[in-house]
Amino acid sequence: MAFFEQEIHDAPTTFLSKYVFSFDHKVIAKQFLWYGIAFLGIGGMMALLIRWTLAFPGEPFPVIGHILFPGNGGVVPPDTYAMLFTLHGTIMIFFAITPILIGAFGNYCIPLMIGARDMVFPTLNMLSFWLAMLSAVLLLASLFTPLGGAAGGWTSYPTLSTLIGSAGIGQTLWCLSLFVLGVSSTMGAVNYIATIITLRAPGMGYFDMPLTIWGLWLTAILNAIFLPVLGAGLLLLTFDRVFGTTFFLAGAAATSGSGDPVLFQHVFWIFGHPEVYILILPAWGIVSDLLSFFARKPAFGAKATALSMTAITILSTLVYGHHMYSTQMSPLLTQSFMMLTMTISIPSAVFFANWLGTLWKGSIRFDTPMLFSLGVVFVFGLGGLTGLYLATVSTDLYLHDTYFVVGHFHYTMAASVLLGGFAGTYFWFPKMFGRMMNERLGKIHFWISMVGLNGIFMGMMVIGHAGMHRRIYNPFVYEFLQNLIPLNMFITISALTMGAAQIVFVYNFIHSMYKGPIASQNPWEVGTLEWTIPSPAPHYNFKDIPVVRCGPHEYGNPNLVGKDFQYQTEELVKA
Amino acid sequence: MNLLLNLFMKHFVTSADAASNVGFWEAMKPPIDISTNGHLIDSLFMLTTWLILFFFFFVCLGLFGFSYLYSKKRNKKPFYTHGTSRKHIAIVAGIGALVFIMVDMQITTISNRDFVNVFLNYPKEDQDIVRVQVLGQQWAWNFRYAGKDGVFNTEDDVVTLNDLRLPVNKPVIFQITSKDVIHSLYFPNARLKVDAMPGRISRMWYELTKTGLYDIACAEMCGTYHYRMQAKLTVYTQTEYDAWLNEMQDRADFTTEKDKADLYWGWKWLADTK
Repeated sequence: MAFFEQEIHDAPTTFLSKYVFSFDHKVIAKQFLWYGIAFLGIGGMMALLIRWTLAFPGEPFPVIGHILFPGNGGVVPPDTYAMLFTLHGTIMIFFAITPILIGAFGNYCIPLMIGARDMVFPTLNMLSFWLAMLSAVLLLASLFTPLGGAAGGWTSYPTLSTLIGSAGIGQTLWCLSLFVLGVSSTMGAVNYIATIITLRAPGMGYFDMPLTIWGLWLTAILNAIFLPVLGAGLLLLTFDRVFGTTFFLAGAAATSGSGDPVLFQHVFWIFGHPEVYILILPAWGIVSDLLSFFARKPAFGAKATALSMTAITILSTLVYGHHMYSTQMSPLLTQSFMMLTMTISIPSAVFFANWLGTLWKGSIRFDTPMLFSLGVVFVFGLGGLTGLYLATVSTDLYLHDTYFVVGHFHYTMAASVLLGGFAGTYFWFPKMFGRMMNERLGKIHFWISMVGLNGIFMGMMVIGHAGMHRRIYNPFVYEFLQNLIPLNMFITISALTMGAAQIVFVYNFIHSMYKGPIASQNPWEVGTLEWTIPSPAPHYNFKDIPVVRCGPHEYGNPNLVGKDFQYQTEELVKA
Repeated sequence: MNLLLNLFMKHFVTSADAASNVGFWEAMKPPIDISTNGHLIDSLFMLTTWLILFFFFFVCLGLFGFSYLYSKKRNKKPFYTHGTSRKHIAIVAGIGALVFIMVDMQITTISNRDFVNVFLNYPKEDQDIVRVQVLGQQWAWNFRYAGKDGVFNTEDDVVTLNDLRLPVNKPVIFQITSKDVIHSLYFPNARLKVDAMPGRISRMWYELTKTGLYDIACAEMCGTYHYRMQAKLTVYTQTEYDAWLNEMQDRADFTTEKDKADLYWGWKWLADTK
């Protein structure tokens, strides 16, 4: 099915061409992985600073507090607090999850799983990473400007994000940084879409692709359509800040001409709602595959799962208004958005049923990647269902902008995506580095993370329902929040626990890279194309382009003799 | 770790003193409901919770039950099925439909009913109501009562800062805007909030049922001291309210500087056009 001949070039020999300016999708994937993990550490550290402030207001942050905030006795100051939660959101979404799930797994898995030798546009791929690097430099540079980095929340609503609310150049740099990142991600997305369409191995129809590829493909489509929308919004915001236009200024704030701050919210959420699916779709894909791989059973209703994901992709573009109920849109719009949002639960219920159907009567192996996948089913169940409270307008009048929202979207975007990402990391680590990760440490990592993150996000939903609103430096200036001090401390302790668990992961990751046991070609006994080649994957992947003869989830076929799975290159065994 | 434990104990003990009569479950409850319609939101929340727990129970049952029953040890031979038979498709589609009908359609209907019939059903202008204009600014709430003449933005208006006082058992309509950035007027005890946006006037109404002193907060990030944008809501009986308003009225007549443009941030009351 390949549209053109894929040539094999010589492997690069110099350090620069091999590890830095590499065209190889596998190297770029690892670059994105390191980039993402580094930012995950920074964003996680910020989360701990935030949590500490909420639980122990006025207490200096232990150990590093005095180094970071010497002028304030080690206590996080209120303006820094605003910057911390702004950058925590920005970094986690755009600089940690996006590079890991889309940049790393997208780059790594797409060519390998569809039987291609590289991406269709290798130069664009490299450019995509280096633009992401530029964007990171811009973002980090904003921290060193006179008034500090952006501090208007990751949504950066005008007029707070215009010169009225944030005078510093940090906010401008933030806009530019995200604009550049948008360009980078769009490049990646175009590349993914084109690769999946043109370079699938001969014999591989769309429904023969692993569901991971489905997830990544749909994500790439959403990325290509909606990141430019964010880019446009950010450019207009930059114009307002730098050139004195008034796209988003109104009322007493607009001295010449009048725009509308709510316009930005529309533009932002037209992008912003698909963005949450951009983040979760790759994780869904990975989980759908891994459940089948480790239950040793074909994915239950794989086609229905793929089509449900497609349906959600389409619906996700039509529901963004539920983020804006409190701006008092016309009642008709409010009602329409409520109804459309509700329809998302049909495809969600379908693939939940399919996930459980895959486990049903399987022969489940509880390796670390499987544990993480099962974890995703659990936390995404909670995260998805709690979205219902926020989709119905009357309950949202109370819950909007409270910690309930924070808990809900962390369950879906942080917990599910992170666990999905870890599942993928443990699963493809042997193919990436040729060594196995330690199973025992992986399981310790899983259980501590699981306890920690449920403590954090369940706790957040409880305090949100008790009325605690978001983005406040010290909740306890309010009388009605006095009761929540112990709960806030519980959440912070859970967060510290979860943070500690990640040290186990980092140790396991780095140690296994050099000292782990050598991985065989196919340690998990899985039939997709990347496991037909040696570990680590050789330069230019496939010596001969494989020919696909069966689906990606052929396990436990009773007609098989001697093994319980089939490679995709083998003819389906029939009785 | 010791440091952490000490801190935890210290705070836990002191906070336990401060809120000694609040039990573990009590602390998780939302603040006391003081409006006529807050119970609609609370009851929908509870209904959604039960429905969600019902379905999440089955997710857990499947997840943990299947993990237990069909582990490698217990079940050596997996059942070879692609889940594409007519029966399987019907079951999956049935689950999808069941969730939609049992959960989504129910709560959407209820929510929509409350939204249209109650929260959007503003009291008529000819009713006996209290009208308040609200101006958010970094980082305070300004409240304006029309005064004796019943017309807003005149010199007999009563204007307060972070101090809203209302009579019990009487519908109140707010018209809300902002001077600088977007704020959100949040009454935790009435379960309501609405954004205050520069260049727009948004509306909200409620009727209070309990006298007392309550918190008002800003729910939308509005800058460094967002967390300090706190106002107090005092709910009076009608007589107390009249007495207070009269006193404020007299004070306004004496103290309002007629030429000070800053004091005239109000606007002509926008009557309901529907």
